[in-house]
Amino acid sequence: MAKVLMKGNEAIGEAAIRAGCLNYFAYPITPQSEVAEYLAKRMPEVDGVFLQGESEVAVGYMIFGAAACGARVFTTSSSPGISLMSEALSYITCAQCPAVFVNIMRGGPGLGGILPSQGDYFQATKGGGHGDYRLFVMAPDSVQEAVEMVMEAFPLAEKYRNPVMILGDGLTGQMMEPVEFPDNLQKAPTNKDDWATNGMDTRGSDKRNLVKSLFLDPTALNAHNLLLKEKYARMQREDVRYEAYNTDGDYQALIVSYGTMSRVCRTAIDNLKADGVEVAMIRPQTLFPFPIDAIRQAVGREHCRLAISIEMSMGQMVEDVERSVQGRCPVEWYGKCGGEVPTPEEIMDVVRERLAG
Amino acid sequence: MGVALDGIAIIVGDYGSGKTEVAINLALERKQAGVDVRVADLDLVNPYFRTREARQQLQSRGVDLVLPPAAYLHADLPILSPAIAGLLRSPSPLTILDVGGDDAGAMVLGALADALSGQRFRMLQVVNPLRPQTATVEGCLKAKTAIESASRLTVKGWIINAHLMNETTAETIADGYRFGQRLAAASGLPLVCITVPQALAAAVPAPDCPVLIIRRQLVPPWQQSDPLAKV
Repeated sequence: MAKVLMKGNEAIGEAAIRAGCLNYFAYPITPQSEVAEYLAKRMPEVDGVFLQGESEVAVGYMIFGAAACGARVFTTSSSPGISLMSEALSYITCAQCPAVFVNIMRGGPGLGGILPSQGDYFQATKGGGHGDYRLFVMAPDSVQEAVEMVMEAFPLAEKYRNPVMILGDGLTGQMMEPVEFPDNLQKAPTNKDDWATNGMDTRGSDKRNLVKSLFLDPTALNAHNLLLKEKYARMQREDVRYEAYNTDGDYQALIVSYGTMSRVCRTAIDNLKADGVEVAMIRPQTLFPFPIDAIRQAVGREHCRLAISIEMSMGQMVEDVERSVQGRCPVEWYGKCGGEVPTPEEIMDVVRERLAG
Repeated sequence: MGVALDGIAIIVGDYGSGKTEVAINLALERKQAGVDVRVADLDLVNPYFRTREARQQLQSRGVDLVLPPAAYLHADLPILSPAIAGLLRSPSPLTILDVGGDDAGAMVLGALADALSGQRFRMLQVVNPLRPQTATVEGCLKAKTAIESASRLTVKGWIINAHLMNETTAETIADGYRFGQRLAAASGLPLVCITVPQALAAAVPAPDCPVLIIRRQLVPPWQQSDPLAKV
């Protein structure tokens, strides 16, 4: 298929359809409302369903219901909306249902602002809801990668029977970029008969499937948590994704940055290189599981003496960088939040300053 | 060939067709040609990539920009400054209205119907054939009908803004021009101009219509905007 020009939010909606997901429930919120606008027009054309919930709380449980029935289902929202869905996320994860959640982050806390931010790192990677649960979290840096990640997210959610979150920011949703969709459409798998409540008649079985998140027996609940824990460990073993940038040179500092923020860092790294300063970057494409080994190896290079976490939040990713670096070098932070995106010049100054300091 | 426009130019189009970049460049080009220009940011629909983000560039060249009050610059509230109606009643030699996307964005024009009545104005629709919803002549005509119905005004010409951001080639422009000719023939409306990015200006053969050179001003934070034309 030839390239077209699309806004991130529209491309995310189209990608879900191409991934065979024909169920979309959502509630509008800036800066992701274009996904709902796009799918309100597009879903009827492919015999899909878009239903607007009366709130994000309702949407969370609409997702739970459809996922429990074995349907491919997804939603999109922005920061405060994801907070409202967090209860359902905890339930869905406990009940081991696959679903895809997209968070196009805006400035917080509270009602905050409507410009780009990465302030929901903790919420996404450490759980905004209650209990010991994890989401599989992917962070695209372009419209094209957002499309690819949405299309990968459904099979990953089904592989782990766990929600996958795509963590973008206002820029990911609002910017326009050329994008190409794969020609082959995915089909939703039908092999969910052993657990989904998809109807005994449909699957020709006399076994009743039960989807639940209530375990009153403490031994059973502990055992269930151990099962979930093993699943998260498996994510770490099998599905860590990252991009290494300029790691071949003799660099003195390593930047860790994700999403659109990493594109500003990339420009800064190119400009610094032209000035004779070598800086490398590890860009986590999965925030959970985090690329611990890649970062540890990258700071292990002979002349690397500093790691900097650069993010549009107040240092939420620093502790993950620290547990990756494991004391091999100091870990610093630079960032802004509220909607102001640091410029390449700012990043260059920070890197120069910290290396001199 | 310059884009000869005067009176009130109302720039409408599908969501993401490039209205704002066109409005900014049109204003700068006309100002350069010696015409006094005012621009009004009427985008009440989308809080990102609006004319207000190019206010410094416009003001540095003496283009008057009418915006909502400063406290609401970053809001996604449908605020229509009362200054707009005043500006329409006593227009400068060229007044450009940069309207929000789709029929939803064009609805604001209904509120300005009184101020527009009796004035000389022309509503122009920007089309990027690389956008999926306006990739066909039928798609463009459908958008035109929706915008006309929401604004209660009539589209009087086309601006073809064919591009793929940084991946635009001379072929993109040539294909877009041919698309514009088909659209003009099908609609019976003139092709007012096509746009060409500054970097490709020399590589594109001159069409039989005016060309608006685009110096991109609305860029993501990791990119540099194009330098403005030399004074």
